Amino acid sequence: MNQEIAIEVKDLHISYKCLKSFSIKRSLLQMKKTQSTVFEAVRGVSFTVPKGEILGIVGKNGSGKSTMLRAIAGIFSADEGIIDLHGNSVSLLSIGVGFQRELTGRENIVLSGMLLGFTEEQVHEKMDEIIEFANLGEFIDMPVKTYSSGMHSKLAFSITAILEADIMLIDEVLSVGDTRFKKKSYNKMKELISNKDRTVIIVSHVSETLQELCTNVLWLHDGQVKMIGAPEDVLPVYEEFMS
Amino acid sequence: MWQRFKKDFNRFFSYAVFSARSDLKAEVASSYLNWLWWILDPLLFMLVYTFIAVIVFKSKIQYFPVFVFVGLTLWNFFNRTVLSSVKMVRNNSAIVSKVYIPKYILVLQKLMVNGFKMLISFVLVFVMMLIYRVPLSPKILYIIPILFVMVCLTFGLGCIVLHFGVFIDDLYNVTQVLLRLVFYMSGIFYSIGDRVEEPYKSILLKCNPVSMLIESARMSMLYDLTPYRKMIVLWGIVAVALVIVGIRTIYKYENSYVKVM
Repeated sequence: MNQEIAIEVKDLHISYKCLKSFSIKRSLLQMKKTQSTVFEAVRGVSFTVPKGEILGIVGKNGSGKSTMLRAIAGIFSADEGIIDLHGNSVSLLSIGVGFQRELTGRENIVLSGMLLGFTEEQVHEKMDEIIEFANLGEFIDMPVKTYSSGMHSKLAFSITAILEADIMLIDEVLSVGDTRFKKKSYNKMKELISNKDRTVIIVSHVSETLQELCTNVLWLHDGQVKMIGAPEDVLPVYEEFMS
Repeated sequence: MWQRFKKDFNRFFSYAVFSARSDLKAEVASSYLNWLWWILDPLLFMLVYTFIAVIVFKSKIQYFPVFVFVGLTLWNFFNRTVLSSVKMVRNNSAIVSKVYIPKYILVLQKLMVNGFKMLISFVLVFVMMLIYRVPLSPKILYIIPILFVMVCLTFGLGCIVLHFGVFIDDLYNVTQVLLRLVFYMSGIFYSIGDRVEEPYKSILLKCNPVSMLIESARMSMLYDLTPYRKMIVLWGIVAVALVIVGIRTIYKYENSYVKVM
């Protein structure tokens, strides 16, 4: 395996400060200034992920895992620090990708694909594969608002799984849909992950999954790196800490 | 910024087009009468204003129904786009919190949807011009720069309003009132030139770009007059400046939008 670096995160700080939206009415009624609360979700995280590696991230709720993933996906700005993806394309795979509720599943596939940086033709090429994988039957031509939540996630998963990006960020998505789809998506996941050129970051609470899939595990605690290393080393300590 | 804009624009433009097309399609599909409303809406409002102006205020404007229709067509485009920009990020939170998209693309998408409806409305204007036997003159070509300024103005204002809409919860209410004020100051169903005394007449026509553009459109399309060319160029410059300011502002702050929601 080459040691080319795919993701480089250096001293990353992300905070939610003074960004409360305010209303004109409220600021007129309450003359006293509202205090701006600062909440630092990620404080000084640095790590690098070599190309082809699968990094698992663990940590309790609210330890900044999702925030960091979104920052890597380019949705959040970092307040301090650098995120360098070395020009790789990135897609965030999380439960319930944003769909336009009024549009059909088919159109949403194209829209999501285009948002992920593919051209309309590229999406159309993969269209059949996505539809087959999602296995929604005739619902694919119905507006997304008629979907059940399971169907919603199945479609979302299929789109990001089949339209492959260089870097995949997976946010606890491994349990989607019914048992059958779960098995199928898990296998697809493994297939995607096992591709040597693909870099993956998985956020999960299920230690077995991480144990099986990951080459490295990062443990985030209150926005800081508590431990980073091989799954065998990190996961037992984490399990013990949590219990 | 120009480099980044060019790159993003190339990448997301086709998304905006496709999304706008699907939006229009979905609107038609959800109810068969819906596309009829694109025509009926301005048509019925035209009747309302014609009633008020002709019966109540005894207006004697030539081709009055067409006069109102031109005003409504441009006004609806401006009003709808700007108003929907206020809650744009909030309404698209599903997309905005999942992938990166330059937020002005959302305004662009709405601009296209409303622009298409405006085109349909313009087709109706031409039909009405035929019915009322309005003589056609080459001056009608002035409508092209007029529309260009209108689109830039709407887009620029939309971007700026989108930015503040994220941070201010009740901006929607404020914008609604302000837009209503602009509506009455734009002479949609009366002629500012005939009805308003100086100095307010010049102020309304020169400082309110919407009324200036609507008035210019009517002059060139219906009355074979040369529109306010200087004002169009002047406001054109302002509109382009607004677009630049809007895009710049969005680029600077857009990554913090998700944190506010």
